[in-house]
Amino acid sequence: MQINKSKAKFLVDWAAVMVLIISVIVFTAMRGTAFFSFANLINILRAVSAVTIFALAATVSMAPDGFDMAAGTLGSFCAYVFASLFLWFAMPLWLSVFLTIIFAMIMYLLNMFLILVCKVPDMLATCALQFVHQGLGLAYTGGGAISAGMSTAAWAEALKGGDNTPLRSGWTEASQNIGKSPYIIIIMLICVAICFVLLERTKYGRYLYAMGGNKTAAKLSGIDVKKMRFMAGMFAAAFIAVGGIVVCSRNSAAQVNGSDSYLMNSLAAVFIGRSVGGREKYNAIGTVIGAILITTLENGMTMCGVPYYILPAMKGAVLCLALVAAYITTKED
Amino acid sequence: MAAKKLGIQIVYQEVDMALMPNLTVAENVMFNDIVMNMKGKLFVDYGKLRREAKKVLEELKINIDVRQICGKLSLAQKQMVLIARAIQNSCNFLILDEPTAPLSDTETEELFRVVKHLRETQNIAIIFITHRIHEILRICDSYTVMRNGEIVDTTPITEATTSKEIVEKMLGRSFEENFPKEVCEIGEKALVIENLTEREGRVKDINMYVRRGEIVGLAGLVGGGKTELCKTIFGAYKKASGKITMNGKELRIKKPADAVKNRLALVPEERRKEGVLVAETVTFNLAAACLNRFCHLSFVNDGAAAKNADKYVKELGVKTPSIRQRVAFLSGGNQQKVVVGKWLAADCDVYIFDEPTKGVDVGAKQEIFRLINDIAKAGNCVIYATCENSELLSITDRMYVMFDGKIMAELETAKTDEAEIMHYATGATEAYAAS
Repeated sequence: MQINKSKAKFLVDWAAVMVLIISVIVFTAMRGTAFFSFANLINILRAVSAVTIFALAATVSMAPDGFDMAAGTLGSFCAYVFASLFLWFAMPLWLSVFLTIIFAMIMYLLNMFLILVCKVPDMLATCALQFVHQGLGLAYTGGGAISAGMSTAAWAEALKGGDNTPLRSGWTEASQNIGKSPYIIIIMLICVAICFVLLERTKYGRYLYAMGGNKTAAKLSGIDVKKMRFMAGMFAAAFIAVGGIVVCSRNSAAQVNGSDSYLMNSLAAVFIGRSVGGREKYNAIGTVIGAILITTLENGMTMCGVPYYILPAMKGAVLCLALVAAYITTKED
Repeated sequence: MAAKKLGIQIVYQEVDMALMPNLTVAENVMFNDIVMNMKGKLFVDYGKLRREAKKVLEELKINIDVRQICGKLSLAQKQMVLIARAIQNSCNFLILDEPTAPLSDTETEELFRVVKHLRETQNIAIIFITHRIHEILRICDSYTVMRNGEIVDTTPITEATTSKEIVEKMLGRSFEENFPKEVCEIGEKALVIENLTEREGRVKDINMYVRRGEIVGLAGLVGGGKTELCKTIFGAYKKASGKITMNGKELRIKKPADAVKNRLALVPEERRKEGVLVAETVTFNLAAACLNRFCHLSFVNDGAAAKNADKYVKELGVKTPSIRQRVAFLSGGNQQKVVVGKWLAADCDVYIFDEPTKGVDVGAKQEIFRLINDIAKAGNCVIYATCENSELLSITDRMYVMFDGKIMAELETAKTDEAEIMHYATGATEAYAAS
């Protein structure tokens, strides 16, 4: 009995990795080198990168028992801001990136205000904010996408004295590189490293996990829980901004609601990652494995001819399985 | 479900787990009825529901409005609602798990009256689970002692049964009845609290002081405001007015984090909910209040934290297979030692204990007393809040008796007794005259 139990636990702990290996074998068997090739590996890793960055934002939010449903919409908004700063106002790339991250943090103050000051539950507050982001974002762009050569929004036109041509006519090579291999993968790895060190190596990480386990006990141990949640939120905002920029660069445009669809994938990645290796905690490495799994499935299934419009059902099913793995062991009382 | 069909009812120790705080008293009392006897019915007859609930409560002689929302009741009232729920059903066996823990003496008397009534008139067998041995002697016909999940002994209770005999079976060894208080050298006034009032009025106009090396008790019934006072001092509840000074310097405490910075420690009442981080390891729990000490530029030095954990596990005699064990798997007494160890590691000046022996077995209780004594001996201030008068009388130097969020009296432990404490704890304002 004891052996069976530990075997079962081993299976649950490493289910994500095993599913990953099995799916690679199955896809390779079905599609051969079209799937199992260096070019496709890079392709998958590029897609993994964007998902991972959003998933890291979710990881730091969820470690202290928080949640962010508005990460995708804020990412889209960040992409608008980045594209407009770069194309409309011809700011240098580094300044555009920097200002976009600052912008995301400022927007995140609204989340923090609702959650920490007004005490609205995270899930509900961010659910409401999704719509705020969507509406405000499109108000900012003037109702459409931002891409090279398209005229600016009315407010930007007025700002520049009635000139609606963007100051920069197209994307530069450097700005395009953000979304290309190997840079996009390097950016992801840097984000993973930051998230890993924050959660695993610093005292702040311990505090966040303590809050995730028992907020009252953490508070009564002298941990400043509001400050810690705020800090986690700011990290999440920075990751979301980077995610928005990466997606924008990959698409060569800030598409309308371009990042919204990353929310589902990123949440699935985080929940899958929770149980990897029996950690039972939202952690950076697990999140990466989760992102790789969900992206590989998506990529392989597309290659096998599964229509794109059915894919959400597959991803939803994977998310369900990850949630089952996370919660099935919860003791009933 | 199967147990309910056989007429076995249980009243749990954790009342909040079994009650729906958002429903009314009537709905809670009649909850089993709503769940079990509604097959084929769609609409709830609220008039009948309330009448029946009222009848049950009247039988128990409990004065609670059945329309009231349960979340607003006091702990003792919630307990009564649960007991009412249990006896409302066709009930052959009633299991009461620590039913008297949150009750005052009069409420306990009420409970005993009902228990006896049920046994005599309705032929119900009752299993009474408790740590309070004198209660067993008072109302039980036989007792079973359990230790480490095993039954040690089942014996009928006779005139000759003594509590000492039961305690010895519980411990598996003989034990001196009262904890011998060691004499500590009492220094000058260190912690002084003046006119402290909590924002919601849960604590009103508190004036008290604690000297170095002194153990000051907070006496009073459940709901008297002891926990609230502890939390207000610690910053977990917001204060409306008042001043807290330490060695003449005013402490500005707006939140628990400030309290810890000012070297205050709180061992809270609800251990699992507020004291330990059950999902974390012993190592982290023991470092939680002073992680800074084990950090270099915000990076945690795991070796130093483990050394700290080893030290306190050994010093406090925490029974754990490893310092990497999650605290959830430790027993109540050992969890409590971890909570105390957390604050010892943080090297505080003021230690506030709120019901530290709640749900702790007799052996661990002795060890916790010894620990608290050692803390005082080292020249720290100790505040000890409990509704167990015998504990106050054996461990404290001085005590404040609270009632309804106010301090009613200040008593010297050596010159008082249980009767005097109860006199003030039940709200009497006139001076106590020993009979």
